[in-house]
Amino acid sequence: MFHNSSQKKFWTFKNEDELEQMRYMANEKFRRKALESGKPGVGDFTFLDRHEEDALFRHYERRLLDFCNAFKPAMPKAVVGTAIMYFRRFYLNNSIMEHHPRIIMLTCAYLSCKVDEFNVSSTQFVGNLLQESPAGQERVVEQILEYELLLIQQLNFHLVVHNPYRPMEGLLIDLKTRYPTLENPESLRKSADDFLTQAAMTDAGLLFSPSQIALTAILNSASRAGLKMESYLTECLGLKEDKETLMKMYDSMKRMKTLLKKYELPKQEEVNAYKHKLERIHAEFATSSNKRKRGYEEDGHVAKEPRLTEEDWTDEDLL
Amino acid sequence: MSRKLYLHMKLCCQCSACCLRCENCVEMLFVRGSGNCVQCDTPLRKSNFRVQLFEDATVDKEVEIRKKVTKIYNKREFDFPSLRDYNDYLEQVEDIVYNLTNNIDVENTKGRMEQYQRENKDIIQRNKAKLTREQEELEELLLLQQQSNEQRRLEVLQEEQRQLQAKRKSKQALLDELEQSKLPATILLAQHKVRAAQLETQIEQQKQNVKPTSLFSTGIQIGQTVSLQPLPRIQEVLYQYKPLQVETYGPPAPDLEQLSRFGYLNHVRAAMPQDTAGGYTSALACYRAMQDAFSGLFSVNG
Repeated sequence: MFHNSSQKKFWTFKNEDELEQMRYMANEKFRRKALESGKPGVGDFTFLDRHEEDALFRHYERRLLDFCNAFKPAMPKAVVGTAIMYFRRFYLNNSIMEHHPRIIMLTCAYLSCKVDEFNVSSTQFVGNLLQESPAGQERVVEQILEYELLLIQQLNFHLVVHNPYRPMEGLLIDLKTRYPTLENPESLRKSADDFLTQAAMTDAGLLFSPSQIALTAILNSASRAGLKMESYLTECLGLKEDKETLMKMYDSMKRMKTLLKKYELPKQEEVNAYKHKLERIHAEFATSSNKRKRGYEEDGHVAKEPRLTEEDWTDEDLL
Repeated sequence: MSRKLYLHMKLCCQCSACCLRCENCVEMLFVRGSGNCVQCDTPLRKSNFRVQLFEDATVDKEVEIRKKVTKIYNKREFDFPSLRDYNDYLEQVEDIVYNLTNNIDVENTKGRMEQYQRENKDIIQRNKAKLTREQEELEELLLLQQQSNEQRRLEVLQEEQRQLQAKRKSKQALLDELEQSKLPATILLAQHKVRAAQLETQIEQQKQNVKPTSLFSTGIQIGQTVSLQPLPRIQEVLYQYKPLQVETYGPPAPDLEQLSRFGYLNHVRAAMPQDTAGGYTSALACYRAMQDAFSGLFSVNG
């Protein structure tokens, strides 16, 4: 259950500033490492700064969502939610410049299928990359398998993710049973679902518990439909006496709605520009995991080809 | 002729074990009584060769050396004022054995042994005597056991013989009666059968009639008074069950039993026969959904 889960203990943070701080540190760490490697012609401008990283992150997150939605067989919502959460958690402690989001994103989806017991073989998984030839798909499988352990490690082996979908079901059941004031709670389901999908694309999962997100979704969709639901909180959830908790809950809900409003998909031209920068950075600072792909070379060898040419598949191949 | 016939069964080795020799080679080498070892040139005697017991020759060598050393160093724990001293003594012995086995510092070690022997002559003698006494007692016990086993075996054999004889006699009696008596054959047969049955039950009873032993299985004699001290009582704190309290950071979720009463189950998909066969009930899914909905609802982060 959520209350004694690793998600609550280790992956729920106080506020957005703390998250921003962690991402900033990851960015700094990469910069320092790259500068120390002593490659010539490297200055501050070659690196991505935070808002550029952010834009790229949102772009690739969107691609992940589209990939999962187009997946055959149909991926359950929980699996999608888990994959997005893994992606988000990974880039909390790692910079986009260090590990390319293209592969991490597929690895997240793959791992999430395994963890949430949605059985897909690796061949079936890469069969969903329609733009790829079978040989290309093989290469992708190899890459995924290489990055899988890194992903698990960066998640600190905390693989169980609690998504807000079941809490939402539970709250709907509760509304139907104990709250006759609301005539048709089912009508709230669709827009609450949309709210949850949007919330998955924000930091809400890292700041609030899934039941809170679900409750916000339902209250939001109720207020959109013009229905009043405050008495649910006071009567059914027993918060009539406890004004303090009630206030805190309203506060959290407001914060969550702000987060959702702030979300916007980055513009395509910006994304393209940043992507070029990213590819250059990856070509320059090929990390040891890339060297492994070329076979077990001795440490003295210099990487022969730049990474750009080796990556035969690009973003456009995904969908 | 090979010095390399290690696999020959009757292998002997010198107790100061410079080399291995098979039995034929030993005979060959020592046809003149005594001589020097071929490989390492130490003076050897034929009598010093023994049959090898262990696969690894070094182990055998060590065993021989140990036997000799413990003949001299035969003190017991009882002889020492503290455990520490006894352990120190044992370590000394081990050092000596190790040195002799690996040919380290042989002269010195042998000198030490001789010195020890001279100093503790009387203790060594006393312990030797004790050892022989103990061994004799053990042997006596073994002998007793063997004798009683023998006796039992003989008795069993005798019983069997007697039974066989009884059976034969009754068969013979039947034949005789069939010859002589005037009664019809069927009656005679029936009589015989009854007698045979009686004999069987007798045998069974005898088998059951085991001689009561005089010993308990632990070795205590039956009828011997054993002191029955009351066992020391160990008082401990009694275990009190306290139900587990779990903090859910949210409103209390309904129990499994309450779900159907309050009508929650009406809003959950009903379980199909295939599901209930496996033990699934709709209450389980409902319960989980409700718990998830309320878990962490009031939690404040950070």
